[in-house]
Amino acid sequence: MALLETPARETRPPQPATRRRGRGRGAVNVNSPAHRGDARLAWVLIAPSLIGFAVFAVYPTLRGLYLSFTDFAVLTPPAWVGFDNYVKLASDDVFWSALGVTVYFVALSVTMSLAVSIVTAAVLHRLTSSTVIRGLIILPFLISAVVAATVWAWMLDAQLGIVNIAIESLGGDGVRFLTSREWAIPSIALINVWKQMGYTSIIIFAGLQTIPPTVYEAGRIDGASELQMFRRLTLPLLRPILALVLVLNVIGAFQVFDIVQVTTKGGPANASNVLQMLIYSKAFGQFDFGYASAMSFALFAILLVITFLQMRLLRANESEVSA
Amino acid sequence: MKPQRIASALAFVVIAASALTACSTAEETSAGSGTVNWWTWDERQAASYHKCLPGFQKDNPGITVKISQYGVADYFTKLTAGFVSGAAPDAFQNSVPLLGAYAGQKQIMPLDDLIKKTNYDLKVFNIGVDSWKYTDGKQYGIPLDWAGAAIYFNEAKVTEAGLTADQVKNMTWNPDDGGTFDDIVAHLTVDKKGVRGDQAGFDKANVATYGIGSLASGDFNGQTSWNSFVSTLGWRMGDKPAWPTRFQYDTPEFAKTLEYLRGLGDRGLMPGYGQLTVSGSQQVGSGTVAMIQGGTWDATSITKIPGVKVGIAPTVKGPQGRSMISNSNANNIYVGTKNLDATWKWVTYMGSEACQSAAGVDATFLPSIAKSLQAAVDAQKAQGLDLSGFVNALNNGELWAAPPTANGQELADTIKPLFEAYFSGERDKNVFGEMAKKTEEILGE
Repeated sequence: MALLETPARETRPPQPATRRRGRGRGAVNVNSPAHRGDARLAWVLIAPSLIGFAVFAVYPTLRGLYLSFTDFAVLTPPAWVGFDNYVKLASDDVFWSALGVTVYFVALSVTMSLAVSIVTAAVLHRLTSSTVIRGLIILPFLISAVVAATVWAWMLDAQLGIVNIAIESLGGDGVRFLTSREWAIPSIALINVWKQMGYTSIIIFAGLQTIPPTVYEAGRIDGASELQMFRRLTLPLLRPILALVLVLNVIGAFQVFDIVQVTTKGGPANASNVLQMLIYSKAFGQFDFGYASAMSFALFAILLVITFLQMRLLRANESEVSA
Repeated sequence: MKPQRIASALAFVVIAASALTACSTAEETSAGSGTVNWWTWDERQAASYHKCLPGFQKDNPGITVKISQYGVADYFTKLTAGFVSGAAPDAFQNSVPLLGAYAGQKQIMPLDDLIKKTNYDLKVFNIGVDSWKYTDGKQYGIPLDWAGAAIYFNEAKVTEAGLTADQVKNMTWNPDDGGTFDDIVAHLTVDKKGVRGDQAGFDKANVATYGIGSLASGDFNGQTSWNSFVSTLGWRMGDKPAWPTRFQYDTPEFAKTLEYLRGLGDRGLMPGYGQLTVSGSQQVGSGTVAMIQGGTWDATSITKIPGVKVGIAPTVKGPQGRSMISNSNANNIYVGTKNLDATWKWVTYMGSEACQSAAGVDATFLPSIAKSLQAAVDAQKAQGLDLSGFVNALNNGELWAAPPTANGQELADTIKPLFEAYFSGERDKNVFGEMAKKTEEILGE
């Protein structure tokens, strides 16, 4: 994160930003009489989150890992099958097709989302100071995904949707947004971008505010245009924030389910059958929890690798400002 | 944090936990003695079956029956959760594709001993008994109803076209020239300039009214789409009537029928795949289509569209007469029931002419007992609704039972995208060989 040396901080002993973070414990003297016995209280305070994390994250993950090596249909105890589910996965056309569909969705969704969000955040930052507009930007994010998807499904309806009525009134041919192979994923990606864009914009906007105005002043003195400053100053200085939103967006997009479930249910002909949809129908439709768990772990592994690569390639923990 | 605050936080956690415990306790004790819990997914049928309660309670004053209804989207998930937690209903309405999963995992009980002990006669049913025999040869379900397909037509559109209701009710069909069905569909189709589908100059790209609603469907048994056509050629779904090892999608007559039906869309006589998104009754009500083929369960609602008179016609008469698949729902008994005697009494009462006739008069379902079906048809006739075609279908042997299969849901999920690919034009008829092969793999698991 960008850590700017503010006048207030300058009164403390000067230390490099990274070192100061690493020595967080030094900020509080745990041996002072006022803090004795804090450990017990600390445990009590974090206990609810810890218990919640153990019960709702650690246990289901471990249980899922175990189930992925079993044949489990809920009503009878799981039967150990070793690596059978993973072997089946390797040759399952539907799984690979779902992975392809998901990657296509992620690519479309994340690219559009980042592009729109960066521009929106830059506009918010440089061209307006209206808090109302800044507040409105985040509104779609506050709407439930199911509600957003339902309303968009109505608007994009091939027969009665307002979007097609508009296209036809302008002389164009109606588009089967959610019922054709070509349009299903782009349409879902558009809905997702509309929904997520406000949140991503606000994070980027917050990042923009950490860039010192003096940088832009210097740029202006050097005769740089708004566009040049955006490309040469804003984007490089925003890299850690962009890396964060990229990782969040990629993970979020890989997990898309609600919008697909409401709008297309994976159709037509598996054109929008994303991984989460496939996992859901295997587990809760066909009650094949063993195989569904194996697919979930495949997705988990994919996300782990992608996130690791993103963090490495984008040097997400470094900032040009603090350098 | 002050100790008092910690105490109040802990108190909150304890209260929340005890509230959750209270919920689960209430679930567990709901199947008390003398009470039979029965579930259905259809709210209209739940209301109809309430009419059986007075008769049942007169004979069994000590038994209370609690009828619950849960929407079909949640019904089977809720049922499974009930099996896992031991809180499933004593008896419940079930659908044939789930028989394999529930009987195979020993969640529902075989009823042969009870049938024998109480001399219950399964011959009372005219359809549905065999669909509920599991691979062990035992009877797991007591039939409730059956469902098939019917053609619903906008009477005004038919008259406007110079046709009669009788002509629609007696449509013939074959996969070569489409029989009178083809002629009627073409004549009922009108483009935006008023030119009919069988006249020169018909513009298939700008149709105002289609002759027939879409017969494209991803449903693996095509119950309200292609099934009533291909069945008239003698085609049957499985290689055997029950527990088949493959579905016969790869036969020449199947491909020929499906090619004919998809061709209706290419000719502009039927809406294209995914073109219309509103329900069949809305398509008929708005005049977008002149006829639709729907489920028998649509009969009581589609004929009540305000301002539009809708007639009911049987399915087409093909080379081997009329024929269609029929799905029979049935009552199953949960193995964990704590009140088997009372439950069996309720289940057998529901499977009696008295209950089926009392509940059937609303025609919210078609009873599996012919006499009760006749009573339902008579009652509806008095209200101006002619359901006589459904009695004929049952009495004339036009129905064949949907085969019980293993892995029903996996079959449905696997076949659906392939049918969608075919009807959207993405795949050609070669897809049917792949479909048959997939069913072989799934049914052999």
